[in-house]
Amino acid sequence: MKLEVGYIDIKGIRFGDYNAVEDGILIVNPEPLLEPVLEDPLIKSAHFEIATPGESIRITPVKDVIEPRVKVEGGGGVFPGMVSKVDTVGSGKTHVLRGMAVVTAGPIVGFQEGIIDMTGLGAEYTPFSKLHNLVLVMEPVENFKQHEYEAAARLAGLRTAAAIGELAKELVPDETVVYETPSVAESFKEEWKDLPRVGYVMMLQSQGLLHDTYVYGVDAKRTLSTMISATEVMDGAIVSGNCVSACDKNTTYHHQNNPVIHDLLAVHGKLINFVGTIITNENVYLDDKIRSSDWTAKMANYLSLDAAIITQEGFGNPDTDLIMNCTKLEKQGIKTVIITDEYAGQDGKSQSLADADELANAVVTGGNANEVVVLPSLDRVIGTLDYVDIVAGGHDGSLRPDGSIEAELQIIIGSTNEMGFNRMSAR
Amino acid sequence: MVNFWRLTLGGEQETLHANKYQIVTNNPMVADVFGERCRVVFLEQGSDRDVIETVRDLVHQHYRVLTAPLAGSVKPWETPYRSVMVSTSKGSAIDETSLELVEFALMVIRQSKERLETTKPSIDSDFQTIDLSLIESALPSVEAIGRI
Repeated sequence: MKLEVGYIDIKGIRFGDYNAVEDGILIVNPEPLLEPVLEDPLIKSAHFEIATPGESIRITPVKDVIEPRVKVEGGGGVFPGMVSKVDTVGSGKTHVLRGMAVVTAGPIVGFQEGIIDMTGLGAEYTPFSKLHNLVLVMEPVENFKQHEYEAAARLAGLRTAAAIGELAKELVPDETVVYETPSVAESFKEEWKDLPRVGYVMMLQSQGLLHDTYVYGVDAKRTLSTMISATEVMDGAIVSGNCVSACDKNTTYHHQNNPVIHDLLAVHGKLINFVGTIITNENVYLDDKIRSSDWTAKMANYLSLDAAIITQEGFGNPDTDLIMNCTKLEKQGIKTVIITDEYAGQDGKSQSLADADELANAVVTGGNANEVVVLPSLDRVIGTLDYVDIVAGGHDGSLRPDGSIEAELQIIIGSTNEMGFNRMSAR
Repeated sequence: MVNFWRLTLGGEQETLHANKYQIVTNNPMVADVFGERCRVVFLEQGSDRDVIETVRDLVHQHYRVLTAPLAGSVKPWETPYRSVMVSTSKGSAIDETSLELVEFALMVIRQSKERLETTKPSIDSDFQTIDLSLIESALPSVEAIGRI
C-alpha cells in the first residue's frame, strides 16, 4: 500500500465565528462543532478550551488525544468503522494537521484518567505538552453507565477531530512524505534478500468494557491476530477506547503516529526489510491469550520473519500476553525486542513486569511508572482537579493545599508509553 | 439450565454444561451480577490475596483457571477487588498452567506494598466496575461451545 501524507503545520488555535485553517492558524467556531456532540443523550454539556505549549495550564482528567486528519484521495475516510464507513484506508493521499490535537477531557472512571501539563516538570514527561491542544471538555448526565458514556465520549472526540481534519482537505501541505508498504511477494525481491526480515507485533489493549481498542470499528477482543498495513494505521484504522492508566495507554494519537512503524519504514530497504505488522489482542480469558499468541507466532512464521519488535499496552495480566508472544516467536528462531514500561516500585527495586522469561532478553523500557514526581501548581485548570487524589499514581493527599501535586509518573498521559513515544528509557 | 452435548471421537455423547464456569470474587458487584448465572464463591470480607488463595485451593482439587488471575492494568495495591473464573469440571490431575499462574499472581501480590484505603465511595464503585468489566469481557469466549 502507498500513502502520501501531507503535513500542514499548525502554529496556533484561536476562537472565531467560522471554522478554517488560515496561515497555519486553526480558527474554531465552537457552536457547529459542538452540535453533533451534544446530540448524544449521555453528554450533558460540552465546551472547548485552548491550551498552547508553555502556558501555565493543567488539563485533567484526559481521556484521549486525537490528531485531525482527512482523506484527500483514495478509498475510505479517517477512523473507518467508527466515524467513516468501514472501507479500507491506507492508500492515496491524507492530510494531517501537524502540531495540534483534539484532547477529550472529563471524568469517566475516576481513578484511571490522567494529566497533561503544558509547562513545568510535568510538560517534560508528556509529548502532548508540545502540541496546540483543542480540549473538548465534556460532562456526563447523572447516573451514567461508564462503558456507555465511554463510547459517547470516544465518538465525540473522533467526530470532532474528523470535522477539524476536513478543514485541511483543500490546503497545500508544508511537507509531504510518501509511505509505502510491500506485499509479501515484493518483500522477497532480490534487492532486499540480504536484509533481515523484520515484523512488528502490535499488542492492543482488549481487557474489558473500559479497556478496549477498536480496529475498523471492531472491538479487538473479538478478533484473532491479523495483519494490517502501516498506512492503514496512519489513517486511523486503530482507535483507543480505553481508560487504563494514563502513562502507558496508547491514545489514538499514538496509533496515528506509531513511532515503531515510522522508524521501521525509515530504515526499510536500507538496514532491514520491514515485512509487515501483526496486530494481536490482550484478552482476560486464558485460552484467548494462548490462541492469540499462537496465531501471532504462526503469522510471523508464514512471513518468514528473522526478527520482530513487540509493543505492549497496559500492564499486569497483559504482561502474560507479552511474554507468550515473545517466547513463542523466539522458540521459532525469530529474534524479538520488547518495548514495555516498568512498575518497579517507587525505589525502582521491585520486579518490573508481572511476568518474565529468560527468552525475553532484549527489552527496551519506557521508564518506571512508579517514579515519584512533584508537579508545580499551575495557573489554570482545564477540566477538574477532583480526581487527582485518586487517579492511578495519585493517592489521598497527592493534591497539596498549594495546588502542587505529588504523584507517580503513572498520572501523566504518555509518560512511559510502550511504543516508545516518549523520551524516557534506560541503558 | 440448558445442557449442550457433542459426540466424541469414539461416538459417545459428551455433555457440555451450559454453566461451565464458577467465579471466585471479593467484589460485591460481581457477586450480584453473576449470582444467578453461575456458582459464585463470594469472599465478602476477603482480600485479593484471599481470592487467589481460594483459587489455588480449587486448582489443587483439579479445577482449571479460566481467566488471568493478575489484575488488568490496575495495580494490586490500588484495587481491592479481584475476580477469577474457574472451570466447573475437574481434570484428572492438577493443571500445571493454572497452578503456575496462581502461584505467580500470589508472588506479585506478596511483593506489592500495602493496599491503599479507598476512602471515596464513588471510587470504590469504579474499582468494582472495572473488575466486573474484566470478568464480563471473558463471557463471549467462555460461552462459546467447546472444551474448556
